[in-house]
This record gives sequence, structure tokens and C-alpha cells, in this order.
Amino acid sequence: MAVSSPPPTSPSSSEPRPQARWLGPLALLAPSGLWLLLLLVLPTLVIFQLSLVPNIRPGDVVNPSGLDNYWLAFNSTNLTVIVRSLSLALGTTAVCLLLGFPVAYWIAILAPRSRRNLLLLGFILPLWTSSLLRTYAWITILRPTGVLNTFLGTFGLPPLELLNTSAAVTIGMSYSFLPYMVLILYSSLEKLDTQLLEASADLGAPPLQTFLKITVPQALPGIAAGSLLVFISSLGDFIDPELLGGASSMTAARLIYNQFLGQTQNWGFGSALSTILILAVSIAIALLLKYGDRDAYRS
Amino acid sequence: MPPIRRSRPGGLSRRQFLNASLGAASGAALSSCGWTLANVQTTVRTDPGVLYIYTWAGYTDDELIDNFYKETGVRVIADVFSSNEEMLAKLQAGAGGAYSVIYPSDYMLQKMVGLGLVQELDRARLIGLDLLFDKFASPIYDPDNIHSLPLSWGTTGLVYNTTVLEPAPEDWDYLWNNRSDLTRRMTLLSDTREVMGASLKSLGYSYNTTNPDEIEQAYEKLLDLKPSIAAFDTDSWRSQILTGDLKVAMCYSADANEIAKQDANIAYTLPSSGSSIWTDTLAIPNTAPNPDAAYAWLNYMLQPEVAARICQRLSFATPNQAAFELLPPDVQENVSLFPPESALDKSENLTPIPTDVEELYDRLWTKLTSV
Amino acid sequence: MLQTASPNTDLAGREAEFDVELRKVFKVFNGETAVRGVEFNIRRGEFFSILGPSGCGKTTTLRLIGGFEMPSAGEVLIRGQSVNQVPAYRRPVNTVFQSYALFDHMNVRDNVGFGLRLKKMAKAEIQHSVDEVLELVKLESLATRFPKQLSGGQRQRVALARALVNRPAVLLLDEPLGALDLKLRKQMQYELTSLHQDLGMTFVMVTHDQEEALSLSDRIAVMNDGRIEQIGSPQEIYDAPKTPFIADFIGDTNLFEGHVEEADESSLLVRSQAGLDLAIERGESGADVADAPRLDRGSAVAVSIRPEKIDLHLYPPETSVNTFEGRLIQAMYLGTHVQFTVELSNGATLTVRQPGSGSERIALGTAVFVSWSPSSALALSR
Repeated sequence: MAVSSPPPTSPSSSEPRPQARWLGPLALLAPSGLWLLLLLVLPTLVIFQLSLVPNIRPGDVVNPSGLDNYWLAFNSTNLTVIVRSLSLALGTTAVCLLLGFPVAYWIAILAPRSRRNLLLLGFILPLWTSSLLRTYAWITILRPTGVLNTFLGTFGLPPLELLNTSAAVTIGMSYSFLPYMVLILYSSLEKLDTQLLEASADLGAPPLQTFLKITVPQALPGIAAGSLLVFISSLGDFIDPELLGGASSMTAARLIYNQFLGQTQNWGFGSALSTILILAVSIAIALLLKYGDRDAYRS
Repeated sequence: MPPIRRSRPGGLSRRQFLNASLGAASGAALSSCGWTLANVQTTVRTDPGVLYIYTWAGYTDDELIDNFYKETGVRVIADVFSSNEEMLAKLQAGAGGAYSVIYPSDYMLQKMVGLGLVQELDRARLIGLDLLFDKFASPIYDPDNIHSLPLSWGTTGLVYNTTVLEPAPEDWDYLWNNRSDLTRRMTLLSDTREVMGASLKSLGYSYNTTNPDEIEQAYEKLLDLKPSIAAFDTDSWRSQILTGDLKVAMCYSADANEIAKQDANIAYTLPSSGSSIWTDTLAIPNTAPNPDAAYAWLNYMLQPEVAARICQRLSFATPNQAAFELLPPDVQENVSLFPPESALDKSENLTPIPTDVEELYDRLWTKLTSV
Repeated sequence: MLQTASPNTDLAGREAEFDVELRKVFKVFNGETAVRGVEFNIRRGEFFSILGPSGCGKTTTLRLIGGFEMPSAGEVLIRGQSVNQVPAYRRPVNTVFQSYALFDHMNVRDNVGFGLRLKKMAKAEIQHSVDEVLELVKLESLATRFPKQLSGGQRQRVALARALVNRPAVLLLDEPLGALDLKLRKQMQYELTSLHQDLGMTFVMVTHDQEEALSLSDRIAVMNDGRIEQIGSPQEIYDAPKTPFIADFIGDTNLFEGHVEEADESSLLVRSQAGLDLAIERGESGADVADAPRLDRGSAVAVSIRPEKIDLHLYPPETSVNTFEGRLIQAMYLGTHVQFTVELSNGATLTVRQPGSGSERIALGTAVFVSWSPSSALALSR
């Protein structure tokens, strides 16, 4: 006798159920969202909360009680430190921009297309070595009897006392962050429509005017993004200031480090300083997004 | 199976701080998202055949670890820290649960005892405590060695290159008296207590003073010297003193001794008005997952032969008298390693200071390094 | 009203007759010759087109005038002065680029005022000129928009205004209407013509669209493979092409390859390769062209007959000259006329165009006869 198989269970309705609509995006976004929440949002909130507790140390109860740490951050000494950090970061950004733009321009527009990747690779190569090692190399170059002064000496030039100055810090940081600037500027200039340069010349603009009025504005998003990246990186760098900056090299990053890993362990003050830096950088990014992006006013 | 090593062979500074990552700091902050910045300690179950130690860079080497493995069958995995504070932060953040042996310096050990982070040693399980020099039998920082075992000691002083510096410095005042000659050719340590301590000593005060007036005076005196100071630097003076780019640097005796091995023109002075004497110790954290192996390691380090070998190889002074006696005469007579008692009379151990004094130090240090 | 730049005078004090002159100009890129000995003179106020298929060198020729390329050999003159050493930014010409090349970081007003600002003109004057030219191209209301906010046709007008506002001696147009849809293109063609008439400026336009060239230009230079094949009015180019290439490229035509069988003062008899005997009347308006190589017995020629010059018959016509029998294989209704394809008995196909509404249907496959007058055919030297 033939045994009839049970009818196949009816497949679920082909019409998507309401929750299916957000299930996909949720599945896609959850891992990175969780990652961001745990490793970015939560720590930032913790830092903010700690910053509201004066004199908090490991073992203390977190009991937010005021803005004292912030007032402390703005006393004259700490203000000097913050201003020094900002000016070092600005200086480094300016140097990277001035050195990086011609290089990126050359690679993106003038160099033969087939060589571009090789040239870029050459620029990124220094990033493969340890930043500490690179900084030590600068000590060897800049010290009083170092490579630079030996070189100057052979031409009968007076030696330069560069090591342990702000100039040395700027040199070291510019060297560290120049590749990032070049990469970002390159990707921006690579997209430049060269016909715009011809149009500018056609309308009577000599090369310099074309550069200032067309090339630079067209590359503005890249300039802004590269500058921001270099600025933020410089602001957070404490190896270069520490090793190259000499006796007056206290920066905000090092000050924060001292609050967490130094003797006083004043985590509250360190958190306040961190919050100030996070805010400053966030504002810079917000301004960039609002005004730096040309697409914002185009569409 | 050979031991797994994570220590780097010697050659790095004892207190090379730049290895420290900000990651440690952010980790510390993250783990504290409870309402207390509690000493949350995680207990880690480990294989009894593996011992995790947390030590200074340059304090272990392959030979030490290999021989221990041969002797006990326990594999040692060494993680390195670059400052006492970094180690403390990691343990306080609850990230030190794997370690069964840690290497705090004297003042840090005191602080950790106060915070209840280290356990009392079971003296019955230690063999060879009686071999220590008398003065290490009951050090000030840890009477009767209840919580720790002294491993190495040294002083803070001045290292100089005899080819570019004459006459030889004898005391801290030398820096002030010759500052025009030394302009941008001298470095001081990147360490608040040590630098302020040197200035305090030169004024005739104690390294461990808690008198704000004395501390302010020391700061003012440093401010005078400031224009001549090239940098506050714990590590990178080494290459520059060899090349003669620096004439004099404030440093730890162990580092000076190691550099002196490379160049006979490098000399070390323990300032006559006194400086600090530091001791690095071995201790067992409360959360040690493998205390048996920890005691084995402590006993191993107490063995005179082992202590003598590491004294020579890693060039720091041993507190172990039996080990000292095994050393060749030239090492025994090296005054930068083993200064005569008379020279140590005026020197002091750094001791923990109250929080408000620490804050004063921090404020002055920030000022000193920012103006 | 906009004024063109005051005409330069040449060294002798004479006003130069031509706005643009090219003398034996060559341009070589990496061993590839894009322009081979191009020569022409463009008269003041002329609407001159350079027409040719893509890759023929027409855009390079325009770029040589604009100053974006320098000639490898030969000379370019603008208003009687050699500009071989003059960079683009110092030439009294302006270009409307194919892709418009508008500065997308500037609004319409700033785009248009770009050239005037570079001339350090007073602000009020710039404002006035920009307003005037925007009115001319009917963009007054969009002055503050950014290029990305404009339609294709509007961008085209901005590009035009940006060039015109500088009152160049010569306006160069590189495929100006190529990116527009058909309807817009027709409208812009009309506007370009009226602009040209109103301004009296010299226009040089590059295009691959023969219809555009025919309808807009005073004169057309047809380029092929880096050379100019013919320069002439639209009528000359259409009715009296000098080469088979032009006959084929301009409009539609039927070409028969063959050789001259008999030649006398007033007529030719050409035998096509397929064996057809074709009679051609030599004359001033048709037949061969005055400066073409002399055609003698045995000369290789191509005979061109425009589709609209061919008559279609259902019964044998009275004359047997240029009359052939065939079979209708296709009929296409094209609005104002019907296009037939006829297969001749020797296998060749012929395109025939007849005015009509398509109401008089002829069944496909029907035997038909085609014929044309000897005066309608052209013999073109091969």
C-alpha cells in the first residue's frame, strides 16, 4: 500500500512581514554600531563624566560635582600648553600643505600616469617604519654634530641649533604626517577636470591665477580633509614633542598622558583636558562638513 | 619546547617611558564605567606551567628565561612596562589579572601596598632571604620585606663625556655654576620627583619634603637653570652623550653604567650633596593566578649565581650579598654600580608623598616644561 | 550691445582682413600626426565650421587656435599677428568647451565675470557687462545659481555668456550643441545664428554633425585624417563635393566606383565596376569641379548621385540613359518623404528618396526602374 507523504508545509508568505524591512539594515549595521557604541561613544561618555569630578583618582566614587576641572584647564599655565599644542599642530598642518600640495599636484597631474602608483608608494613607504624610529632618526640628523650640521659645515655654513626647539617638533611631525596629506590631496587633485584649467587660461588667467582661482578651490575638500587629519594627528602626537621639543615641550597630549599615567593620577583633570580636545576637534570637523564640502551648496 | 619570550633583550632604558601607549590610558578609562573607579581585578585561570610577569624593559633576557624553564619546567612570558605609573594604571584598570609577578620600584610598592594591590609574601616559601645585604633586610619602603623582594638598586646622578667636559662635576651645583658652558648641552630626567629632588638637594632639603615653601624654592632654582636645559629626557640622551652633543645628562646609574661599557670616556658621578637611591622589587599581586610559579621565580632570582649573572649582564647593582661576592673584582669595585657607603650617606629613598603635594609637583612641572 | 574687440592692425598699418589664418600647420603627438598641413583663412565676422568625423583632427585644429596646443610646424595668426609664441591666456579668443567646463565652485554670475575680473575691470562695469550678457542668453533669473543646479541647456548658455562677455575677436565653439537633446539643439542652433548676426563676431565651430554645420555656417572646412578636404559654402560642399569622402559624409549619396570610358568637352561616360554605364554631364553647376584633376579616359572615379535626384518608375521610362531595372526591397516613410531601397539586377543597392505621403504604396518585391539626369550625377576623382 502506498503511503502518501504529508503535504509540504506551505512556504511562508512571500509578502515580507513588517519587521523584515528593518531586519536587513539592522543586521548590516549592528556589528559596526555596537563597535562604535562600545569603543567610541561609551568611553567618550565615561571621560566626560570623569571630567566633572574634581581630584578623582582610581578607587574613588564617580560623583559628578562641577566644572572645576575645566576652570583648571584654563589657568594660564595650561592655557599656554593648549596654545602651544594648537600652534604646533597648525604649523605642522601649514608645512604639510605647502610641501604636500606641489607633490600631490605633480603626481596627480604632471607625472606620467603609469608611474603614479609607484610614486605614491614611495611616499607611503616611510609609514611602514615605526614612528619612534623615525623620530630617533631626526635626532641623529638635527643634533648639534648631526647629519644636517655636518652637511652645512662642508659648505662653510654656520651650524643650526635645531634639536630641542619647536622647529624640530614641526619638522618631525611634518615628516610623520606628510604622507597622509599627500595621499588625500592626490585623491582630490586626481579628480580635477583639467579642462577647467584650460577654461581659466582661455578666459585670460595666467598659470598662477589659474592655480589660485581654480585648482585650489577645486581641491578645497581635499585640502580641508588633509589639513584636518594632519591637524588632529599633530594635536595628539606626543612622541615628537617629547623627543625633539626640548625643555619647553609640554603639549596637551603629554599633559593628558601625565594625568593618567603620571604620578598625580588626576583622572578628572585629564578627562577634562581630553573633553576639551575632543570638543575642539569635533567643532572643526563640523565646520568642515558644513562649509568645506562643495557638494553641500551644489545640490 | 622552548619558552615563549616576549621580553626584548637588554639595551633598552630601564624607564623608557615612550613605549607606553595611550591605549593603556583609554583602557583604564573604559574599564571604569562603573560608578567607582574601583580596583576591579579579573582573575585569570592559567596553565600552571606558564608564568606571566610584568617587568621593566631590559630586566629579563633569553638566558634567564631559558634557564628557569630548564630548572622548573615553567615557561615565563614577560610583558614590559615603561613606567611605574603605567603598571599601576594597568593593574588598577583590572587588566593585570594574568600577572603573577610584578616589578614595582620602592615608592610604587609602598603605594600599591597602601592600595592593597599586592599580597604579603609567605617567608616560609622563600629560600635565601638571609643572603641579602643587611641594609636590604628591612628597607624603609617595605620593613622586613613583607610584601617584596629587592631585585636591583641604583642611584640617580650625572653622566658626562670626559672628552667634552672639564673639570668633572661633583655635585648638582656644577650645573648652575657652569650653565653658560652647558647651555643646550645638558639634559635632566623626564621625571618630576627626580628633577625637583636634585634641586631640593642642592638647596640642602630632602628629596621627600612636603614643605610647599621648599618645593617652591626648588622650582624657582630650576627656573634659573631652565634656559640652559636642552631637554627633559630619560632615554635619548644616550646616543648624544656618546657623540659629545651633550656634555652632561642626569640619569640613573644603571643606564650610565651600560653606556660606560661602550665608551671609556663616559663617567658617572653621584652628586656629593646626595641624590635618590632607588630599588626595584619583585612582588606578587593579590590576583596572581599562579602563586606557585611566582614563588619559584622569586627563589630563582634569589639564587646568588643567577643574581650575579644578571648583575653583570643587565648591569644593575644587586642587593644580594652572596651574589656580590661571586662578582669579579672589577665589577665589585665599579663605584657607579656599588658606590661606597659614605657616598650614599646623604642620599634618600623616594617615598610616597601626600596627594596635595603631588598636585603641587604636577602644577610646577607643567609650568616648568611649558614656559 | 556688445562690441567685439577693436580690430588689430598689422605692421603695415592695414587692418588685417582675416581674423584667423592657419599656414601649413602640423601637429604631432607622440609620433602620431593629428593635423597635417592645414591651411585656411577665416574672414572677419564669418561663421566658420570645421566638420569631420571623430579623430579627424578638427578639435586639435580648434585647440591650436585657442592656444591649448602649439603647432609642431606652420604658423597660426590671429588678426594678422603670429600667435605661435602666445599662450592661451594672452590670445584674444574665447572658447565654449564641449563639456562647458564651468567652474562649479562659482555661481553663474561669478563664472561669467571671471574673465572681466582678471582684466581688473571696475566692479560696476563688470556687473553691468555680466547683466547685459546674461540678458542676451536669457539667464538673468539664474545669476546666483551654481552650475550643478542648472540644466544642460542652461549650462550651455552660461558657457556661451562666459566667453561672449570678454568680447573676443574670435569665438571658438567646440561641439557646442553635442550634449543637448534634439529639440534643445534646434533651438540653440537658432539662437547661435541670431547671436552671430547680432554681434558680428567671428565664430569658429567644430562639429561632427553635418546638418548643424550646413545650417549654421557661412563656410565649412571638411576635415578627414588630419587634412582639409574641401572648404566652401554649405551649398558648394553639398552640391559639389570634391571628394568621394565628402560626398559620402555630407548628406546621403549613392556612390559607384568605376573608370572613365569616354570623355569629351561636355560629357563623360563612366563604366562602374559592376558594369553599369553611367552618363555624366560636365557643366558649371554640376559634373566635375573646376579645380579637380582632369578626368580622361581610364581615370578612376567615383560617381555620386544624391537619393533625391533619382526618379522611380513602375514602367520603363522614355529614356534609356542612366536607367536601370531593379526590385524594390525596402520602403521607409520619413514624414516629408519616402526612402526606397532598390536592388539593381546586378546586385547593387541604391537609395532613392521621393517626396510624398507614403499613400501610394508599392508592394515590396515589385519590379521598378530608376533613372536620373546626367546633370545630377557627379564624377569624383579617386
